[in-house]
Parts: sequence; structure tokens; C-alpha cells
Amino acid sequence: MKRKAQLYEIEQTLPKPNGIYLKIILGNVNVSILNKEEKFKYKDEYEKFKLILSMIGIVMAILNFCVRFRALELSYIFLLVWYYCTLTIRESILKVNGSRIKGWWRLHHFLSTVAAGILLIWPDNETWSHFRNQFMIFNIYISLVQYLQFRYQRGVLYRLKALGERHNMDITIEGFHSWMWRGLSFLLPFLFIGYLFQLYNAYTLFWLSYNVTTTWHVPVLSLMFFILFIGNTLTTISVIPSKFQEKVKLQYRVMSQRLSSQLLNRETEDNQPTNKQD
Amino acid sequence: MSDPIWEEWQELSKDYNELETVNGSYLKKLAELTNLQQTCLKHIARQRNRLKMMKKIVKQLKREVNADKVAELKNYIMKREAELQVIEQTLPKQSRKYLKIVLGSIDVSFLNKEDKFKYKDEYEKFKLINHVIAFFLSILNLYYDFRPLQLFYVGFLVWYYCTISIRESILKVNGSRIKGWWTLHHVLSTVGSAIYLVWPENETWSQFKSQFLWYNIYNCLIQYLQFKYQRGALYRLKALGERDKMDITIEGFHSWMWKGLTFLLPFLFIGYFFQLSNAIVLYKLSYHPQATWHVMFSSALFFIFFVGNTITTIMVVPNKIREKMMFQYRVMTQRLYNVVNEKVAKINLQRK
Repeated sequence: MKRKAQLYEIEQTLPKPNGIYLKIILGNVNVSILNKEEKFKYKDEYEKFKLILSMIGIVMAILNFCVRFRALELSYIFLLVWYYCTLTIRESILKVNGSRIKGWWRLHHFLSTVAAGILLIWPDNETWSHFRNQFMIFNIYISLVQYLQFRYQRGVLYRLKALGERHNMDITIEGFHSWMWRGLSFLLPFLFIGYLFQLYNAYTLFWLSYNVTTTWHVPVLSLMFFILFIGNTLTTISVIPSKFQEKVKLQYRVMSQRLSSQLLNRETEDNQPTNKQD
Repeated sequence: MSDPIWEEWQELSKDYNELETVNGSYLKKLAELTNLQQTCLKHIARQRNRLKMMKKIVKQLKREVNADKVAELKNYIMKREAELQVIEQTLPKQSRKYLKIVLGSIDVSFLNKEDKFKYKDEYEKFKLINHVIAFFLSILNLYYDFRPLQLFYVGFLVWYYCTISIRESILKVNGSRIKGWWTLHHVLSTVGSAIYLVWPENETWSQFKSQFLWYNIYNCLIQYLQFKYQRGALYRLKALGERDKMDITIEGFHSWMWKGLTFLLPFLFIGYFFQLSNAIVLYKLSYHPQATWHVMFSSALFFIFFVGNTITTIMVVPNKIREKMMFQYRVMTQRLYNVVNEKVAKINLQRK
């Protein structure tokens, strides 16, 4: 197992082929970042990107809530579709670079893209008017939670850096979610409220689907919100016991890194006397 | 009994130690490489700045004596710029704004010329495959009037144009000189397709639908012709030895296109007139009682396409000749550069 961890470390410095999704979109560009510091910088950028887009999203959601203007709605939903699409691309890049983002979160973003797409083609009819305000409030809430998440995560990250869990080693990207969950025991209730909100959306849409003017969009969206609710809740709940396991694994990886750097130093020392003999 | 296993483990450990040492030297070389790259980039920036200053001085010198020497100096400066460009091709380049927003600051520059060429090849294949898919989807949509199928098709178009713009930005970072209009064209096509996505399913849509589908079918066919002809031209040039120990560069993306396209020009123009016809039909349709803003918008977009495409294509025909000249100049510069490098290497060897 130790050996596996060491091999994993070495692989991080070598270029890696892209997954299928990236191959289709980007082609054979090499997106592996070989430098650890750069990897960390890229992840940092990714978080900032999410934050900036959440801020834009929140402003647009508030505007849409106050004013009823079709073009404004459409541009907001387009922004959502584009945002989730871009997130999936960036997360695929993170994955190529060793991030261990849980499969569900990536699937979540794909599903969100599809859901936003369906919202886009939902005609401007009565059922939409019923659902619209609830949807905007939902988005405002989600953006707020994202902001809280961002701030808390940053605090935790810097605290860990200061606590010297660096040791001549830059913090790896993987454990993406162990970072998240480290600081999130405080945020957990807010997240669960968000998931319940999704359930409520699914429920509202379900009742709306019995409306006369309803189209196929309504039941499909209801189903999607329901899937998102279940997936999110299950994943979050399953992480809490994992949280401890991951903490142990992370410490193990830290130790193996120290070991491997010590070994390397010793190797070079050992090799020097043999070279002199030559 | 456990001895053979332990022996195997010892062997494996030895192998692993080798891996570690090799990896150690790899990491050192990687650090060296990045340092060298940074030094090169700084040098180039310095050279560029000073060349700029020299250009300004030369302009002022024009009014003074010795017109011959001034012309020579100008020539040298132009040659030097071409040489700098060649060197730049081997160094990593920063992405522009669009890529930075979508991908973040990932380095997407190919340092190896062959890789660049492979990537462009892949890009062309990607376009072709997607056009074939679009072709079949359009035909299906012509025969079956099924709303989700239509929506899927238009959604596919939006995704395709988005992805193409990302790939073209990557090509641009790697030195491709795709004309600005074509990139704009793809962005506008994304917007145009998005409009079809939100176009409500009403009478105006039913009237315009089949014309739109036929237009797309024609488009796919042209792209296929373009692809085949372009490949033929590319291979002919490769064979004609315009390689000369140098891989074909990506830039002159459009000089490749236009080299083979004198045959295709009439087909392209028919396509542009099709766009004009779309614009006119949509414009007339906008007077329909059920017309929404989508109709006017779409009409305007198709008109812009027609105008932009026609002007750009017409402009290219005289440029084609000039680009060929500039391209040959670059070929010569590279050969010169290689020859100079070889001579310097020989002299260094002799000195040792």
C-alpha cells in the first residue's frame, strides 16, 4: 500500500492523457500540470471562478426576482448553462491533474447543465410564471451557500498551511473533498437546507405537472430536482464517516511523501561514494 | 515457502529504486527546462522592445541620407522579426482571455511542431465527424416532425459551435493565423443557434424550419468537400518537398484552405447566397402576426453572415498571392536559421 502511494506521488509529475470528455472538447492538448505549485494555483483559480460566477448569478437572480423581463430571464439561464458546462470542463482538467473529486459531484454538474438547458427551452407560459419566483429564490440561496463555502474553505486551507502541514511539500489537490469537509461541519446544516429546497422544488413541480397548461418540461425537471436532492443528501451523509477515514489516508500520504523525499536524499548520498569509487 | 515471494519483492524494490532515481533526474531536468523557457521568453521580450525602438528611429532616418542602408536595415529588422516568431513557436505561450475564462491558466501551447500539426489535423477531423452527425440529424428532422428531435439537433449545433470556438482559440495560441472574422463567425453561429433553441414552437417556426434544415444540409456537404480537397492539397504540398526537414507550420491556416479552394469558391458563394436568401425569407416572415423577436434577430444574423463571408472571401483572393509569398519567406528564414545553427554547432565542435 505504501508502494502504491509512492507510485501515485511519482505519477503526479508525469503528463497524463485526458479523459474521454476532455478529448472530445479539447482534443489532444496536454492539460497535465507538472508542477505542484501550479496545480495548487489552478485549483485556487477554479474556486475563484466559482465564486465570481456565483456573485454574478446572485445579482442576476435578484434582478430577475424583482423584474419580470423575458430577455433578462433567458440571459440568466444561458449564464447558468454556460457556467455548469465550463465547470465540467475545468473539473475534468482537475481530475487529470490528480484531484479526487467524487464522481457524484461531476455527475451533479452534468445534470445541472441538462436541467438548466431544459429551463431554457421551457416556454414562457403559466406554469413557468408559477415556478419562476421560487426558482430565483432557490438560486439566490445556493449562491449564498457557495459564498459561505468559499470563505470557510479558504480559512481552513490557510490554517492548515500555517500549521506546517507543508513540510517542503506543497499541498496536493487530491483530498479536494477532504478539504471541503474539514471546514464544513459548520456548513453542513446550510447545505442540508439547500438540499431540502431542491426536494421542495421537485415537489412543487410535481404538483404543477397536473396543471392544464403544463408541458413535458415540468415533470422532467421535477424528476431531475428529485435526483439531485437524493444524490446530494446521500453523498453528503456518506462523507461524514468517510471524513475520518480520509483524514487518516491523507496523513498517511503526507508521511509517505516525507519518507520518499528522505529516501531520495539518502539515495543521492549513497550514490556519491560509489561514483567516487568509479 | 515465503522465500520466493520475498525475493520477488526485493527485485521489485530494486526496480522501484531505479524508478525513483530516474524520476529525481527527471524532476531536476524539468526545473531546468522551465528556467530555460523563462530565460528565452525574457530575451525575446527584450529583443522585441528594442526592435520597436529601432523601427521608430529608422522611420525618422528615412528623411536623411543613405536610403540604401536604411532599406537594408529595414530588411534586417523584418527578417529578425520573422526569426523571433520562429523561436517563439517553440516556447510556451499564454492563453488569451476567452481560453483563460473557460479553462483557467492551463498552458495549451504545443512546443513540438509535429504535435501542433497533429492537433490541427485532429481539429479538422473533429469538424468533419460533427458535420456528418449534423447531416444525418438534419435529414431525420426533415422527415420526422418531432419536437424533441429538433431541440436535440439545435442543442447539438450550439454545443458544436461552442466547442469549435474553444479549439480555435487553442489553435490561435499555437500560432495559427485564423482570420478574426472566422472566429467571430463561430461565436455568432453559437448565438444564432441558441436563438433557434428558444424559438417558440409556432407558425413562423414551421414555415422556416425546412429551409433552415436544407441550409444546414448544404453547409455540411460543402464542409465535406472542403475537407477532402484541403487534405489533397496538404498532402500534395508535403510530397512536393516543401517540408525540407521542417514540419509544416500551422499558420497559413488559411493559405492552406485557399490553395485548394479555387475549385470550391463557386460552391462557397452559393452557400453565402443561401444565407442571404434565409435573411430575406426571415425578414418577410417577421411581418407575420405570430412573429416573435427571434425572427428579426435571426434575419439580421444571416445578413451579417452573408456580408461578412462574402467580403472576407473576396478579400482573400488577392491576399492568397501575398500570403504565399510571405509563407515562402518564412520557409526560407527557417532554412537559414537551421543552416546557421548547424554551422555554429560545427564550429563549436571544431573548437573543442
